[in-house]
Amino acid sequence: MRVKRDNPGGTPRTPRYARGQEGVVVAARGVTENPLDHAGVYPPLYTVAFPVRQVFGGDADGTLCVDLHEDWLEPAAPEPPPGPRPEAT
Amino acid sequence: MSDHDHGRVPHLRDPEAHVRAVEEDLEYYRTKRLEPRVFQMARRGLVTLYDILEAHARLAATAAPPPPPPPDLEARIRALEDALDEYVRGIGLLTPELVRGLGPIEEMRKERGDYDEFFRIAKKPHAGSLEARVAALERDLPAYRALLDAVLAAVRARGLLDEAELARRRAAAARPGPWNGARIVARAWVDPEFKARLIARGREAVRELDIPPGRLGRLGVVENTAEVHNVVVCTLCSCYPYDLLGDTPWWYKHESYRQRIVAEPRRTLEEMFGLRLPPAMEVRVWDSTSDVRYMVLPRRPPGTEGLSEAELARLVTPESLIGTAEPLDPAALATRAPDEVRRVYL
Repeated sequence: MRVKRDNPGGTPRTPRYARGQEGVVVAARGVTENPLDHAGVYPPLYTVAFPVRQVFGGDADGTLCVDLHEDWLEPAAPEPPPGPRPEAT
Repeated sequence: MSDHDHGRVPHLRDPEAHVRAVEEDLEYYRTKRLEPRVFQMARRGLVTLYDILEAHARLAATAAPPPPPPPDLEARIRALEDALDEYVRGIGLLTPELVRGLGPIEEMRKERGDYDEFFRIAKKPHAGSLEARVAALERDLPAYRALLDAVLAAVRARGLLDEAELARRRAAAARPGPWNGARIVARAWVDPEFKARLIARGREAVRELDIPPGRLGRLGVVENTAEVHNVVVCTLCSCYPYDLLGDTPWWYKHESYRQRIVAEPRRTLEEMFGLRLPPAMEVRVWDSTSDVRYMVLPRRPPGTEGLSEAELARLVTPESLIGTAEPLDPAALATRAPDEVRRVYL
């Protein structure tokens, strides 16, 4: 999935470093009713994994597992289909 | 106030670290938990600034004179730690669970600038000799406490504090509780079926230990293995299952930790916490929202096969629940004075 760069009106809880990044959903956390924390119910939550190096550059290793609400996610560019790639023109 | 017998208390190993922890926590609780709450209540008309002034005048009229300062620097630092604990506990009363009319926590996060720096309240810088820093804290803490006491008195005068709920909480706090995280981990180490239920169902599972599960979202449990080391952060604010596991150490809320641990996790664990992981071990950083709050299930230390569940629980530190340290080595625990263990690790 890809994280949207901007999402006016969405939940405010997406870290800046994750915006615009492509990552892999590793867990679906569903919808949590959490009235002590926020009045409305946020969209479904997913844990999305990103390599640290992809997000921050540099030589650091490790994986970031970031919890993101569905309204911030969109499909990433599809993988090219299997089989021989078309010749570049 | 403190009831320590200072003759028996072991020496502080690193007084500067203790002072820094008090400075950081004090400013965090003032600027993030108390003062934004005052503004929030004023905006909503729950409690006005004038209610607070009046309450302060009432309290000042009957206040006892302040106790004389303790004799030496170490005793003064310990007195500051005790005063900070009281301050934090007092602020803990100003929550949506206890004060009628407060909005949910998310509104506080907006109010205090978690999402917009414009709204942040300035923190006070700390500088000078250790002696000067301790003296500054000795001036600040009573002043901060006076505002807190006046705010609480004003909330009560307005009839907004749920006294019945407060009495229930006080009764619950009188039972052994600060060990929650340690007891959960120790049970998971000795009972694989409990561990599976804990990972699958989170808060529901801790009822088996007669631990009140709390209600702040869900509990996520990430298990350390021989291949993966987990560490928890909340880069946007400081979300943590504190209603279940207790408050976090000061550095968890500090920007230096929140920014560095995501950008270079392995190096941060080594440089900030002295935790050196094998190069082949993957580091996973869990950046949470308020809906799922994570704890790390650390690995059981080697050489603990003969220990009871209660003994195992003593090895679990707040740092190990966040993933910035391994649990204590049983041999190291034996050489540590019991009082120091209590102060530093509970």
